[in-house]
Amino acid sequence: MYLTEVSTWDMVKKLYRYKLNSYFGVFTSLVIIQILSILFSLNGTGSSGGSSDTFEYNMNIYSGTLILAFMMGWAFLVATLITTKAYRYDDSSFVSNRTASHFSNILFLFSASIIAGITVYFSYHLFLSVVSLFMKVRVVQADTLTPIQLAQGITASVLYIFLFTSLGYLTGMLVQVQKFFVFVLPALFIGALIIDGNLSDEPRLLISLGSFYGLETSFIVFVFKTLLTTGALYGVSILVSRRVEVRP
Amino acid sequence: MNVVEFTNVSKKYGKSNAVSKLSFTLAENKITGLIGRNGAGKTTLLKMMAGYVKPSSGNITVFSKDPFDNLQVSANRIFIDHQMSFSPLLTLKELLITAGRFYANWDSELAWRLFDYFSLNPDQNHAQLSKGMKSTFNMIIGLAAHCPLTIFDEPTSGMDAAVRKDFYRALLKDYLNHPRTIILSSHLVSEIEDLLEDILLINDGEKYLHLSVEELREYAVGVSGNASAIKELAQQHSLIHQKDMGSGRMYAVMKTEGAAKQALDQTRKLGLELTPVAVDDLCMHVTSKSQGGIDSVFN
Amino acid sequence: MIVNPNSMTPIYIQIAEWLETQILNEAIHSDEKIYSQYQLAEMYNINPATAAKGLNLLADQNVLYKKRGLGMFVSKDARHIILNKRKNEKLQSMVKDVTKEAVQLGVGVEELIVMIRKMHSEAKGGNQ
Repeated sequence: MYLTEVSTWDMVKKLYRYKLNSYFGVFTSLVIIQILSILFSLNGTGSSGGSSDTFEYNMNIYSGTLILAFMMGWAFLVATLITTKAYRYDDSSFVSNRTASHFSNILFLFSASIIAGITVYFSYHLFLSVVSLFMKVRVVQADTLTPIQLAQGITASVLYIFLFTSLGYLTGMLVQVQKFFVFVLPALFIGALIIDGNLSDEPRLLISLGSFYGLETSFIVFVFKTLLTTGALYGVSILVSRRVEVRP
Repeated sequence: MNVVEFTNVSKKYGKSNAVSKLSFTLAENKITGLIGRNGAGKTTLLKMMAGYVKPSSGNITVFSKDPFDNLQVSANRIFIDHQMSFSPLLTLKELLITAGRFYANWDSELAWRLFDYFSLNPDQNHAQLSKGMKSTFNMIIGLAAHCPLTIFDEPTSGMDAAVRKDFYRALLKDYLNHPRTIILSSHLVSEIEDLLEDILLINDGEKYLHLSVEELREYAVGVSGNASAIKELAQQHSLIHQKDMGSGRMYAVMKTEGAAKQALDQTRKLGLELTPVAVDDLCMHVTSKSQGGIDSVFN
Repeated sequence: MIVNPNSMTPIYIQIAEWLETQILNEAIHSDEKIYSQYQLAEMYNINPATAAKGLNLLADQNVLYKKRGLGMFVSKDARHIILNKRKNEKLQSMVKDVTKEAVQLGVGVEELIVMIRKMHSEAKGGNQ
């Protein structure tokens, strides 16, 4: 019987296709999370008001930030889920090795990030319509965007979500290597925040981390920064996974 | 050409050895039975062969390559066991179609004919199947993939006797049509021995013997009769198993080594009776911890 | 290996014996192709290597001969060889067993011969 030669990329594509079919639950959860995030957003993210004898006004600020934040959390969880045994062993039932498995996962998570990023935009608009229809609002003022700004906005959402998948993937992989990371990682995270808060008058860690990406004015540099971080996190995950047996 | 070569392979889990210093080869296009008791190391051995588990020491080659995490080896071998995991969201039909995309030699017609023969429901999910049905479905994938190295780890667990019989027949017929290297672990030796060409018997993670089934059938002989005569005979032969039959009679299993034949000829004069030893009895005797068997517990 | 005649004979010997009977009954003639190891494997539900062992046993006794690339064929004096072999081996070992049993039961030679004569004429009469 002759032996078959296969290319890694070919198998990555086959695994990716299998994952699009079989990880359908990921997209169901996306819809649920977005609906939830819209409901939470209805409280508004800020409000102010004032009144005089004859006049009273109320201003509410609604934004899509909460929807995006929910999507980042979702991305993190989906990525950790994919690193669990149940998902990894699915790959080993067919032709695969760890490299092909990782790349198909990353490709899948990237596709999920794109879908999530685009739907964030639509959800935001759906949310604005809900607000203007049901919240007894007289005047709604929403920013109007040029097509380029819109494209940049969606791309930024996608990249933020994709960044969080890589964070989740690394977290998941670390836990797969050593179970005690389940306790160590949250402890480290919270510990860092506490120390950060104690050392200085005002906590800076999260803010400076956030502004490193969020306050970047050049779009190109922002894309570069996020993709580089994402790539680095995935790279570390792949290295870390070498310590796990394929299927014990 | 040897498809599989193990050289001094050990695998440790913690402090205990699942497999220790195991060396053997599998020649191309043979069906080999991997026989051993529970915990003998069969599954660990097969998972190392499949490339799922890395040996602690020693060297393994499959198609002349290190199988661990190797995509080329993965494409040319299939590993079937009852723990095979498939997405719970796909139906059996979708899983068969998916499997077909991955394996170059996939025989779709065979897969569907077996699928229909065993009356599996194409719209059902893998997770909903009973243990026996899962084994049946996995076995179909294992056969239809036509992989040059086909590994079955306890493929018939949970199957009823009729399905097991059908499976063995299907395996043989498909092997005759598409000869390939097959290794099959089982503890139901008597059911599969006719199917096999070779038997690899392992005990406590070590190789006990690796012989053709025909050689194994003549590996030992059972002697029954007068106990003292048998004990005398046992001086010249390696005793594998003995059992007291009461009233001065006993049954013993002895190895038939080169010179043994003439010596055993005398046994007739001594009034002893010789019987062949079935392969599964032999496997059981040589791997048993105590020579007296379960009876020794009650003495 | 000398084993109890009551026990199961190895499969490859059973196959060889079945092929011999086919030849004796002239189901397969001289210079005709005999079943391949794969056909036998399928018929008997056994590994083809076991079937090959049965075929090789007959080839070693010149009942069959090999043609390169074509398989095995029945040799010209196959029937003769089989008849002789059965006479010399099978019959002799059966007579050996009968004699042994007779000695154990204290049956004398004369008595045994009378029994055999009777059986022989009965078997002959039954055949006609």
